Amino acid sequence: MSTVLQEAPTAQRTNRTGGAWAAVYALALFEARRLLTRIPMLLALAAYLAWIVWRTPGFEDGSPALQDADRNTQSGPLLIGLAVLLCANAAVLRSKRRDTERHFAVLVLEPWRRTAAHLLSVVPAALLAAVCVAGQFGWAALQSGSVGSGSPAELMVGPLTVLLSGAAGVLIARLIPSTLTAPMAIVLLFFFLLFFAGTVPAGDGERGLRWLVPVVTESTTNALPSDLIGRPAAWHALYLAGLALTLALLAVLAGGGRAWTLWGAVAGALALALTGGIAQTAALPATLTAARERATHTPEKDQTCVRRGGSTYCAFPEWTPRTDTWAGAVDHIKSLAGGTAHDRQFLVRQRIDATYGLAGDAAIETSTTPYQVTVGTAWGGNRVPEFSAAVAAVLVAGSEQKTNALCDGRMVTVMWLALSWQPDPMQSLRNVRLDDSVTGSAIVLSTTDPMQMTAGQTDVVRELLQKPHGSVAARVKAHWAELTAPKVTSAQAAELLGVAAPKGADKCGE
Amino acid sequence: MTRELVLAVWRALPWRAPAAGGILGLLIAGATRLSEGEPDPWLGLALLRTAALAYALGLAFLLDDPARHTTAAVPTRRALRTGLRLALVTPVTALWWTAVLFLVPSDMRPPAADVTLEAAAACTVTLAAAVAAIRLTDEPQPGPSVAAALLFTAVVAPLLLPHRWELIAWVGDPRWAAAHERWAWLLAGAVVALAAGLPEPVRRFQPVRRPRTRPQADGGLGA
Repeated sequence: MSTVLQEAPTAQRTNRTGGAWAAVYALALFEARRLLTRIPMLLALAAYLAWIVWRTPGFEDGSPALQDADRNTQSGPLLIGLAVLLCANAAVLRSKRRDTERHFAVLVLEPWRRTAAHLLSVVPAALLAAVCVAGQFGWAALQSGSVGSGSPAELMVGPLTVLLSGAAGVLIARLIPSTLTAPMAIVLLFFFLLFFAGTVPAGDGERGLRWLVPVVTESTTNALPSDLIGRPAAWHALYLAGLALTLALLAVLAGGGRAWTLWGAVAGALALALTGGIAQTAALPATLTAARERATHTPEKDQTCVRRGGSTYCAFPEWTPRTDTWAGAVDHIKSLAGGTAHDRQFLVRQRIDATYGLAGDAAIETSTTPYQVTVGTAWGGNRVPEFSAAVAAVLVAGSEQKTNALCDGRMVTVMWLALSWQPDPMQSLRNVRLDDSVTGSAIVLSTTDPMQMTAGQTDVVRELLQKPHGSVAARVKAHWAELTAPKVTSAQAAELLGVAAPKGADKCGE
Repeated sequence: MTRELVLAVWRALPWRAPAAGGILGLLIAGATRLSEGEPDPWLGLALLRTAALAYALGLAFLLDDPARHTTAAVPTRRALRTGLRLALVTPVTALWWTAVLFLVPSDMRPPAADVTLEAAAACTVTLAAAVAAIRLTDEPQPGPSVAAALLFTAVVAPLLLPHRWELIAWVGDPRWAAAHERWAWLLAGAVVALAAGLPEPVRRFQPVRRPRTRPQADGGLGA
């Protein structure tokens, strides 16, 4: 037998400072990796990415105002937030469910430090949401028709809601250690949202208590200049950040943290949340109301004007890059006209109704100034034939006010001028009519007041659009004076343009 | 033997989760009596749906059995044990839903039969998911995962379902009848899935079948 001589191992002390925090970071990294690879998380991420890819290209018809695009990024991360709430909650309760709490109790890491690690593990998910938000906004910003500028505070709302829901999930797990609580809490949240949506009357004003929910949506899709929107976005971001921090610190407290700095931090975070929460619900500043009045009633004081091809284009500064596009449409229509109309000088002015900010959705009044055309803040899609119809109607009738009475054969010329140069005239005809039809009478949408087409006029326009463009264009130029004379009937117009005359007389308001 | 089993299953039932869901559902439905002013049928329907969701989330925990690996060895078949749980909880559920319906004021209450169909479909889908989770995994307590899946589906389905498969219709919507036909199909499908998932599988679920190894003559003990 040989004796094995063993030397007693010398005791080694690792006396690094911050050893506990290093363990917290290590645990946070591990939990973050686990959190991001949970099945609900992966599904939520897939659904969110699909939503981004599906929604972004068609947002505001491919010509987004970036002050709307930033707000559009807010509702998607709610899905990620939901998954983070459930998964972070389950992660905190894992040791209880698997009965490993007793093993953790012998480790150096106290429960409150483990809570802190769980809270830190939410941060990568929030960063991921931030990357997705940046991608969605960047995609909108890179589209050729984009105008305006986004607000960083609006963009931060998405990632902050993810942080908030993660902190809520950890706090719920620390307060009521049962896996049932998180789903029930979410149902309760639905209930409160539904109940207050159902009982607090809509149109309660732009500020007020509706800002207490994480994501505040607006009812209208009319873009406004950035300085007229008046959303307290920065205060709201501060409110969300303060709220998330408060919940997180409360979770650490509930996990057993008792340092006096912790109490101080809770007080500080609560102060942040209260400051943001109270500031965001305050009344609208008077200067904003005055600026909105000015932009609505005397837009010329705010606008910059440029001349293109003999016409003047006045737009709010953020929309000046779009004047070239408007000029393209106007020049197209003028080139199709005959007589003096060919060289007509227009004033294209951008007009908005900003009186109630994003809460209002009012129509814009017609202008009485001769040869002034109104253009809105949106472009692309149906807005192009609508603007063309407005330009063609003003070219034929003389002013927007006079287009209301446009009920005779001139409507045929107006619609042909407006639509014949579009890439797909029949589709544009469908789009510009309220009921999306190409037969029968219908309302024709325009930038200001709508116009009317009778069933007979619709038949003539449809036939004209189906004929070769060149032959109709030559006839329009040749008979311009007769076609645009007041009181010309649709039958006469059809005869002049070489298509079958409609049977019924022109009668609007049927 | 079934009679003896009833008592044991009754005592082993995880009552807490369905009870919590049921109480939450009653509170939610009762909140409709708090709303003032014009009765709003939209709110009534929305809150009834939320109440049904709360109860269904509770039902997700119904088949949790911490002693699953022990009870797997008893001679009573799983179909019978699970079926007993379902049979015990069904009358309670019916009572609860009746109470919820009557808590909503009659001028806010949507068509009772159609909403009951929705609630029944939601509960059956949940139970079918729980049965499937037990059949396909070894997890003794699949409740949290089933609840998470149900909640996720409830949030995402109204957003992602294509128009022709729309399930969420509101009172007065012309698609109400068509949507409830789909709910009925959903209920039927869930019942079939539930029934199919009840019996214990003969062998463990294997997405990819492994090649069978030949048993060795000595029983694998080695020489």
